[in-house]
Amino acid sequence: MELILTLKKEIMVPVEMDKILPEKVQDLSEEEIKSIELPQGRTTITVGELFDVEVKESETPRLVIKNSTAKLKRIGEKMTTGEIVVEGDAGMYVGVEMKGGKIVVNGNADSWAGQNMKGGELIIKGDAKDYVGSAYRGDWRGMSGGTIVVEGNVGNEIGEYMKKGIIHIKGNTGIMPGIHQSGGIIIIDGDVEARAGGEMLKGAIVVNGKLKEPLASFKFEGIVENPVIKLTKKDNGMPITGRYYKFSGDYVNNKPKGQLYVSVENNPDLR
Amino acid sequence: MEYIIKNGIVYDPLNGVDGEKMDICVKDGKIVESVSSDVLEIDANNCVVMPGGMDSHTHVAGPKVNVGRTLRPEDSKKDIFNKKGLRSGSGFSVPSTFKTGYEYSEMGYTFVNEAAMPPLLARHTHEEFIDTPQLDKAAMPLFGNNWMVLEYLKEGDFKMCAAYVAWLLRATRGYAIKIVNPGGTEAWGWGKNVHGVDDPVPYFDITGREILEGLAKVNEMLGLPHSIHVHPNDLGHPGNWETTLASMDCVKDIEAKPKYGERTTTYYNTHLQFHSYGGTSWKDFVSKGIETAEYVNKHDHVMVDVGQVTLDETTTMTADGPMEYDLHMTNGLKWANCDVELETGSGVVPFIYSPKGPVYSVQWGIGLDIFLNINTDKVILSTDHPNAGPFTRYPRVIAWLMSKQYRDDWLNNKVHAWAKQKSFVADNDREYSIYDIAKVTRANQAKVLGLSKEKGHLGVGADADIAIYEIDPEEKDGKVIEKAFRYAKYVLKGGELVVKAGNVVKEVYGNTIYINAKVDEALEEELMKDLRTKFKKYYSVNIDNYPVSDHYANSWKAINIDATDIK
Ligand SMILES: [Zn+2]
Repeated sequence: MELILTLKKEIMVPVEMDKILPEKVQDLSEEEIKSIELPQGRTTITVGELFDVEVKESETPRLVIKNSTAKLKRIGEKMTTGEIVVEGDAGMYVGVEMKGGKIVVNGNADSWAGQNMKGGELIIKGDAKDYVGSAYRGDWRGMSGGTIVVEGNVGNEIGEYMKKGIIHIKGNTGIMPGIHQSGGIIIIDGDVEARAGGEMLKGAIVVNGKLKEPLASFKFEGIVENPVIKLTKKDNGMPITGRYYKFSGDYVNNKPKGQLYVSVENNPDLR
Repeated sequence: MEYIIKNGIVYDPLNGVDGEKMDICVKDGKIVESVSSDVLEIDANNCVVMPGGMDSHTHVAGPKVNVGRTLRPEDSKKDIFNKKGLRSGSGFSVPSTFKTGYEYSEMGYTFVNEAAMPPLLARHTHEEFIDTPQLDKAAMPLFGNNWMVLEYLKEGDFKMCAAYVAWLLRATRGYAIKIVNPGGTEAWGWGKNVHGVDDPVPYFDITGREILEGLAKVNEMLGLPHSIHVHPNDLGHPGNWETTLASMDCVKDIEAKPKYGERTTTYYNTHLQFHSYGGTSWKDFVSKGIETAEYVNKHDHVMVDVGQVTLDETTTMTADGPMEYDLHMTNGLKWANCDVELETGSGVVPFIYSPKGPVYSVQWGIGLDIFLNINTDKVILSTDHPNAGPFTRYPRVIAWLMSKQYRDDWLNNKVHAWAKQKSFVADNDREYSIYDIAKVTRANQAKVLGLSKEKGHLGVGADADIAIYEIDPEEKDGKVIEKAFRYAKYVLKGGELVVKAGNVVKEVYGNTIYINAKVDEALEEELMKDLRTKFKKYYSVNIDNYPVSDHYANSWKAINIDATDIK
């Protein structure tokens, strides 16, 4: 079944959307869906009040949100299967703790996209703000699987405490991507504002653009060409193309195993 | 309001009532002989009736607890309390204030004693008490690393030390003398720790032994209801059991002279589990729980609580600053550290006691070794909330004690094999009776705190703090026991029905109990001269702004102690 929700008008107070997962609405009638209450600030609003609701046949469980804005928060939280397509922007916490399935945001995403993600795919066609693929605030056990792709730019501290999985940013990042990273791979095609991999322990970060203000606590390991990134001995590895300065770190930690690859071409002043 | 609790099976150790079917009458907040005919009846058929639970050692309010809350948003997220008509709250190991009050109440508890109040920051503790419903409260200010105490004791001036203790209890509205790692937290201010009872504190040149002896002496000079309440040196270090016994031993010749209550002991060792470690490192770490329990059995001056590890993810918090630093270096998790001017310090670190962890499993076994080998008149059930586990796990601890079968289920299926190899739990068949449970969860607390006239029993004249649990006294199914004690069928607090079927149905606000001890006026004057100089020279606050003022409680209950014989 495919559920199509079209936002009727702009809203001021954000609404939490985590009750509307494709997998959860499969067996519901249109009327039942319309009567679902969603938290809005200190009160609630029904799906019917907020959206025009349309239901279609579909092989896979699908949810399409049209006219979406950054006021719609927690889209796809904890989803395990199916597909969500967001036409417009997604609010904070899109794809939080998702375990499976696929979310595509055809717009921008607010902060905390894919926080503590465990599996599945989150694709953001526009920009995303801070803490993409990070841990919950305060926690030291972050993203543990899945893939996040952002085609635009992102904010600060993405992949914070990341343990596993892949984050691919096609644009630029703010400061400290991969802070406290303890596994997984972050690939950044654009530039990094500063301090990639601060306090990282394990995992890998690839910077294809310019890394401004690299950290002094990383150790230069040499120049590598078309390297294969291996996080464990058994790992088949992920090949990347190009010439890179390879660093290990962050040596503020004891015996760190973090790998940092920085494009030679785009960082002529490095070393 | 009058109530009669009918047909319950009553367990009231302080009055020697061991499972008798009897009715309990309640009027105007007290237990009475009889009630009129216009009375609300509570049917306690097939239920166990006990005095309200009392917690003599828990960390539920104040700056260090709140640092725990702020340090750990991820702990808040784990457990949300949201029930209609009640204040919402959050936090699994460090719950917010209202949630704390409600959850203690759901378990049938009616009194808590906050175990570590930094004197300078006493207001914070009392502010949180105001927002902690359902319970009477008390808090113990920290004395074991306080500059004034260290100096008076070094000079051997017990009178001035007694006058200072009396003044500080009044100024902070505190209840008893708490000592944490005597000398060690002050040493931490110098980047050090002390090891054992005979290692002198930097600059002050006084030892843990001298601090313990001195404050125990002062405690009995004043005649305080509770004894000194001690977290001894070397907490959590393999081989520390010898320090523990040496600490207990050094006050054994001091006589208990409470001017209020019926206490007979002079030394309260909190979280004995953390102090009963053998071996020299974590590799040859073994239980000395039987040894420490046997010492307690043989010595009349000691009372202990256990600090049972519950094998949960929790938050450690203590005034033992150097210990928290060690913990942070061991587990690598985040750490908060605080220094409180002339008085104390503290640290906070999250901790995951995984059942699969060899060391944690032995810690679990050590707590049980103590419980299963000790005289139940001398032991108190605690988890040193939240250090060894949250207070909401007390029912699980009760289940481990009452059911060998349940304990063995954990031993064989959940915890690491080290628990069998390095502790003696596997060999022990002892099971606590409900009567034993009533002792270790209420009666013993009341007696050692000096509150057994009004609390911890169901005799005529006692506060009508009553817990009613739906459980067969012979129950052996661990899960059933756990559920029965987690959610009481009924709870009365101060004569009002506050919990029904495990849900808080009425919000009430208890008293904050503190000690108002008076010493001789001339002595007090001499003390104030000294204190004014000290405050001017060293404190960041003026002495006149230091005492906690009257509006810092829903209602105060002062226990007046006349110590004017100290001149
Ligand atoms: Zn404690």
